[in-house]
Amino acid sequence: MSKLNETDIQGFVLRGYNLPYGRYILLRFENPDRARALVSKLLPIITTGQRWDNGKPQSTVNIGFTHRGLAALALPDATLLSFPVEFQQGMKKRADILGDTGLNAPARWDDVWHGNDVHAWLGINGLTATALDDCCSQLRSLFAETRGAVELAAQDAVSNMVDGQQTGKEHFGYTDGFGNPDYLGIERNSQPGHGKQLPDGSWAPLATGELLLGYADEAGELPAAPIPHILASNGTFMVYRKLHQNLATFRSFLDEQSAVYGGGREKLAAKLIGRWRDGTPLELAPDAPDPSIVKDPQRSTNFTYGADGAGTRCPIGAHMRRAHPRDAFGFNGKLIDRRRITRRGQTYGRFVPEGELASDAEERGVVFMVLNANISRQFEFVQQQWIEYGNDAKQGNDKDPLMGNHGGHGKFVVQGDRSATNPPLVCAHLPSFVELRGGDYFFIPSMTALGMIAMKLVDPR
Amino acid sequence: MPNNSGKVYGLTILSPILNDDEASPSHDLQIRSYLAGLSTGRESPFAQAPGTHLARLVVMDDVIFVGAPAVEEHLNSKYLIFESNCDPGPDGTIDSYLQGLAEYAGAHLDAIWSHCVGYPGASDRAAFVRYMKACQLETTFFFAAVNDKSVPETLRALQTQKAVADFVETHQGMQPGQLRAEFLQLVATLDAAPMPAVASATVSREMKIGGRNE
Ligand code: HEM
Repeated sequence: MSKLNETDIQGFVLRGYNLPYGRYILLRFENPDRARALVSKLLPIITTGQRWDNGKPQSTVNIGFTHRGLAALALPDATLLSFPVEFQQGMKKRADILGDTGLNAPARWDDVWHGNDVHAWLGINGLTATALDDCCSQLRSLFAETRGAVELAAQDAVSNMVDGQQTGKEHFGYTDGFGNPDYLGIERNSQPGHGKQLPDGSWAPLATGELLLGYADEAGELPAAPIPHILASNGTFMVYRKLHQNLATFRSFLDEQSAVYGGGREKLAAKLIGRWRDGTPLELAPDAPDPSIVKDPQRSTNFTYGADGAGTRCPIGAHMRRAHPRDAFGFNGKLIDRRRITRRGQTYGRFVPEGELASDAEERGVVFMVLNANISRQFEFVQQQWIEYGNDAKQGNDKDPLMGNHGGHGKFVVQGDRSATNPPLVCAHLPSFVELRGGDYFFIPSMTALGMIAMKLVDPR
Repeated sequence: MPNNSGKVYGLTILSPILNDDEASPSHDLQIRSYLAGLSTGRESPFAQAPGTHLARLVVMDDVIFVGAPAVEEHLNSKYLIFESNCDPGPDGTIDSYLQGLAEYAGAHLDAIWSHCVGYPGASDRAAFVRYMKACQLETTFFFAAVNDKSVPETLRALQTQKAVADFVETHQGMQPGQLRAEFLQLVATLDAAPMPAVASATVSREMKIGGRNE
């Protein structure tokens, strides 16, 4: 397939900007005409996938709509009803399917999600805090000028800084952001381990239709999409979840368990995710972190689990092995090629280095955003079967040790061998290290589709 | 033996549903309504009957015409389909399983199959077994996700697995002498433990599963 039309696709879909400052503004539309006027004004500001030959811009803006938002923009009924069911329902109604119950139940989410008012999401990223603020003031004057939308809430996010330097570290101290899939036609610095594995062991990009609507997916089919085709094509769906991290609970868990675990605290931390905290994959370096691997794109995501069936290097239930099992289920990874997701997360809240006092109550976590062509087949499946359940990985009812909704009842098995430094360990009565604070499903249209929405041109006939 | 996969028997029964224009609701709807109310958990009559790994009941209305170039075809009758992955008797036949069904789930079977042509009722065991076998089709090819163990073997294994997992969790780091003593105690307790109740290994999950998501 030839290169995609990058200027028609929102930039956020094609690449992680890796800009340190973020703000996610949630909007409610008041009146369809005024809302469309606002979208028209936003049109020239939205960041597209066009490459940045002259360096990064000061700031970026992207936009997405909930189903209620598209209804508030008065899209034709025939179009609204053609969206996939899970998108029409929205994330709150999918709580039972996602395991968003107990501590993660919608009743415990942030206020902004309690009504059904969130119509649109504006994702703004900035190179500096000032650039972010400037961009947001510009947007806010457009809200006021058009009276097109009310700002319901703004979620700030900022990459964690260590010694004044932007890092890829999330709050538990792990370096994140290594693994994201490659797709056919999307230009990117690809590296082994990013796409899907072929029978000969090499890696190839996934079908474009696993990310973008309007293209063939891994089954050679077009992903389910709304009508008309031009509204859907070059668009995608985004899952937005604000994931709170209980940092104090996490650290005291590591303290308690490492007192009985012969591998020590850092190895235990690594076993939970599948990477040492600096990012070294356990599969490649089970005994100690190796910074040379982290820095080498030919190696940092280039590993498989097939030769570690017993999980003595990377536990079978480790987060990364669950969320992207690679070849672990056999059949050359064929069973998982339709369960891949693209992650665009950003941390929020104050970063507290190890050794300094942290509390669970402080606002802190990840604004976890997933892009996929089919929310039900991709994100919802991964969340339900691999994060909140363990059967595919032969881990019974065990959930993801860090991301699972445990509520004090979780279990995690660290497989081990006979050596003193890599013994097996069973952790029981796991608390919830991560809690859901809200979110929803958004449609991220192409630039053409956004223009059609703004100009009232969407016509399903 | 196409009905067998290792130790497991793949039972397929197709019973024609009574076609009575006078009946309202129709017999097939009455079956559907009864099935919709049946428990799928450990209270399921099919779980209570010995030797069931998995059972499924389906009402088949007709062959659906999917448009040209397919040819439009129809069934002569509506059918009740019963599929079960179960333990056959020591002689390899299905007779003892069917008798167990009649014994443990007779009332439910009667409520369901009384809407089928020629059903004799479960109380006459011999007639019941004859009827079911007359409705049986060769399964020819099936996959049983049950590790080639019988239902009692599976229940025992799950009981042991759970007990050992709990033991490991609570005994990590214990001194070898005491560990050995406590482990021998565990083995003795397990040896003496009664056979777990059917479906007792089921863990209730809060999550809504099935449908388009699994
Ligand atoms: C607070 C929440 C979370 C944190 C802190 C977190 C952290 C991490 C870290 C440190 C990695 C390894 C870095 C990498 O390989 O890129 C990772 C990988 C990954 N995570 Fe998460 N994660 C979170 C939630 C989730 C959830 C909820 C999902 C899925 C629904 C998920 C899906 C993935 C996937 C697909 C990978 C990539 C694995 C690979 O390609 O090998 N994560 N995560």
